[in-house]
Amino acid sequence: MSPGDSVKTTVVDTFRAKAEAVNAIVQEVPSKAAALQYIVDVCASKSPAEILADEPDAEQGPPGPNNMPTRVKRIVAAPELDDADFATLSAACEAKGFICLRNGLRKHLAGIDVGVSTGILGVAASGTCMVNCDKEDVRLAGMICEIHVVFLRKSTIHPDLPSIASQLRQRIGEGVTYTTLISGPSRTADIERVAAVGVHGPLELHVILLED
Amino acid sequence: MHEAPNSLSDYRKQIDSALQDDFLRRTLDTFAVAYRANRETIFKEVDERALINQIAESRDKACQRMEELFIQFREKAEKLGVKVHRAATADEANEIIARIARENNVKRVVKSKSMTAEETQLNERLLKDNLIVDETDLGEWIIQLRHEGPSHMVMPAIHLSRYQVADDFTKVTGTKQDTDIQKLVKVARVQLRRKFIAGDMGVSGCNFAIAESGTCTIVTNEGNARMVTTLPRVHVVIAGLDKLTPTLEEALTALLVLPRNATGQRLTTYVSFIHGAGECQASPNGKKTLHIVFVDNGRTEIARDPLFSQVFRCVRCGACANVCPVFRLVGGHKMGYIYIGAIGLILTYFFHGKDIAKVLCQNCVGCEACKNVCAGGIDLPRLIREIRSRLNDELGNDTQAALLGSVMKSRKLFHSLLKFAKYAQKPFTGGTQFQRHLPAIFLGKHGFKALPAIASESFRDRWESIKPIVPNPTQTVAIFSGCAQDFVYPEELEACVKVLGANNVAVEFPFDQTCCGLPLEMMGQRKTSQDVAEQNVRAFAAGKYDAIITLCASCASHLKHNYPNLLEGRPQVLAAAKAFAEKVTDFSSYVHDVLKLGPDNFRNSGEKVTYHASCHLCRGLGVKEAPRALIASAATYVPCEEEEVCCGFGGTYSAKFPEISAQLLEKKLLNVSATGASRLVVDCPGCVMQLKGGVEKQKLGVKVTHISELLAENLKR
Repeated sequence: MSPGDSVKTTVVDTFRAKAEAVNAIVQEVPSKAAALQYIVDVCASKSPAEILADEPDAEQGPPGPNNMPTRVKRIVAAPELDDADFATLSAACEAKGFICLRNGLRKHLAGIDVGVSTGILGVAASGTCMVNCDKEDVRLAGMICEIHVVFLRKSTIHPDLPSIASQLRQRIGEGVTYTTLISGPSRTADIERVAAVGVHGPLELHVILLED
Repeated sequence: MHEAPNSLSDYRKQIDSALQDDFLRRTLDTFAVAYRANRETIFKEVDERALINQIAESRDKACQRMEELFIQFREKAEKLGVKVHRAATADEANEIIARIARENNVKRVVKSKSMTAEETQLNERLLKDNLIVDETDLGEWIIQLRHEGPSHMVMPAIHLSRYQVADDFTKVTGTKQDTDIQKLVKVARVQLRRKFIAGDMGVSGCNFAIAESGTCTIVTNEGNARMVTTLPRVHVVIAGLDKLTPTLEEALTALLVLPRNATGQRLTTYVSFIHGAGECQASPNGKKTLHIVFVDNGRTEIARDPLFSQVFRCVRCGACANVCPVFRLVGGHKMGYIYIGAIGLILTYFFHGKDIAKVLCQNCVGCEACKNVCAGGIDLPRLIREIRSRLNDELGNDTQAALLGSVMKSRKLFHSLLKFAKYAQKPFTGGTQFQRHLPAIFLGKHGFKALPAIASESFRDRWESIKPIVPNPTQTVAIFSGCAQDFVYPEELEACVKVLGANNVAVEFPFDQTCCGLPLEMMGQRKTSQDVAEQNVRAFAAGKYDAIITLCASCASHLKHNYPNLLEGRPQVLAAAKAFAEKVTDFSSYVHDVLKLGPDNFRNSGEKVTYHASCHLCRGLGVKEAPRALIASAATYVPCEEEEVCCGFGGTYSAKFPEISAQLLEKKLLNVSATGASRLVVDCPGCVMQLKGGVEKQKLGVKVTHISELLAENLKR
């Protein structure tokens, strides 16, 4: 192991610790294929998404925890995957009876099960992922889902916020209209300062750490 | 919207009702303690002071370039398809936004949290046009349902219980709601999702408007801002001109402090950078209609003010409220108009006018807890004092303050009045140190503590007989006595003189010194305050002293930090004032750091002694270790819970807001009692007055003394 490796390990460890501190679930997987399988497994093991608003075409199952009807056909959205990965994921979803979407998320604003995003980079000090959300469908995938899965390459994890300035500036300079730093699932403490996760955004955030 | 108090008595009635709100008291109490601990932990990972200085410096520079940054931002943003507006007033901002809604045929508006929109009272304006306006931040939604204003800048519904929220949610949904908080949060998730979807126009605030690129940065936790800025076809950003930030780096630096200070988070869940009008499938042309409305509302004028421009270092984190002992007691609705906490008292004056501010800005005890945690290092207590002074100029003096001012103009008159009081009080003291027999009706709300009596012989009258003879002194110091010790507690000074004399320090007492002037400052009597400052500087100018020792933390902090500022306009004494301030040293620091006295110099009495850290010592002067080490040298030091929280004295404050002062004292004494100590040691005669009075009134049997007395009693010979 070279000294560089040990430094990297430390940054990854810090990232994991800080992300977990804000209720993110951090997983390491050996390959892209395993990461895609993870999405299918997560979707299969969760309770079906609640339909929070009118969606006439959606087949409705029994009420969920908030007394809203649930989806009979679960939805996974992964607008950013390349053609090959999307085909793999789509096939695996189909086998389970899930819908796998690349676009058209506005039809499902009432809520989907899993949304997949690609992290541009990570920030270890706060357990943060910078996600691409220039395209509306990509952004929506991370907003309207119950579980948000973010792929993040270990080599892209930076130590702290100031150290991402040049990369962020570069993105902005390239005309990216919307970039978000995400640390954990949506949260609030607005009632009696009691922490609660899952307000308007995802109920859970899973960060999948990938080797290069 | 809550009403601003018209008069002090009106305000005190409001405060009384807040003090009787047990839920509010309990919540804010728990919060204050938890916040302090969380904040300390979360700041260990960064260099807090260095970051605060960096933020202060960069925001000051940005403020000076406000105009230039606005032009730069507009140029960049307009190239990205954004329409940039500038509103001179709050009304104008509201009109612009109402017009945007009209021109875009908007029916429904969804809002994410914006203090600037609260400042302009945007919702009321939009409702006039029959628009449906929904707040989507959970706390903001709750208070909107209740037709209230925010009671905290970050946690707008902190004054409400889960039961109240459940009732409100039951009303709005027409279904009985559980009081479980996790479930209540989900009610908002369910109810508001439809609103996001149906919204035609989203209104958001903006934490940093980055000029170099024309980018808006929005910081949130709940994810509502991303909904508001994504789903509707129109997005309007409302931002104060002070949000203009030159570069991305400054925004990232501020982000290291803002969430830590606001909620004890390393970073908020979401930080979004919106850079121009992006894709929007709800728009006919597939593109978002994006407007940014910059609000001036007095900001360009404040930016030109050499002292007040520092208010633009504020990042709206709310920390000044989180640590404020008064906020903790009365809550946000009584601690600002729209903006809350120390910064709220200041911004109320600028954004909402002197009539609304005149009473509210009196409610600062001056403990400096806010200054100590401010993300931009704003000297909040000083700015509040300054506003009081301006209000006195603009609205006329209140009688009490004016009377104090005219008496204090002359040292001789002031001191003769104090001596006269000594005789006048005789029938009431029964020869004790307290005014025991003052008729209760005369005491009114001051009955929570026994009031001290004027000493039979002041320190200045005793001086010739107690002056130590030191043949070969290692140092020569002068005593700055302050009024309380000169006339009420001369024994504290005597003890100090004894300790110094025994350690080969020659002591002098310049007779022309008078009150330090802090009470005058607190009451906005600027001119007289400058006059007494000048008199004191002159009184000490002749001597060659190694240090000027004061046993009063409040005097020390005022002499050291405020004199050079106060006398800036008087060049004939300014240099002397700076030299004077340089030499001012508090008693504990002098004894511990300069004389280096420690366990070898004192007998350890073994007495259990606890400590109250005076605001102006631990924060005003940053002295923390010296007094505690000295106590441990002469006795057994037993730490007290919340040792550094204000005792409620605050000089003239305790007379103005006796109800609050009494509550702070009560809390302090509970903590003191819990230590089981037989003595409470303090570094400030003001705190001694408050604490001794409280202990006497409640018959707690705890001896309250100045630290000088503890040391003098246990001096080794």
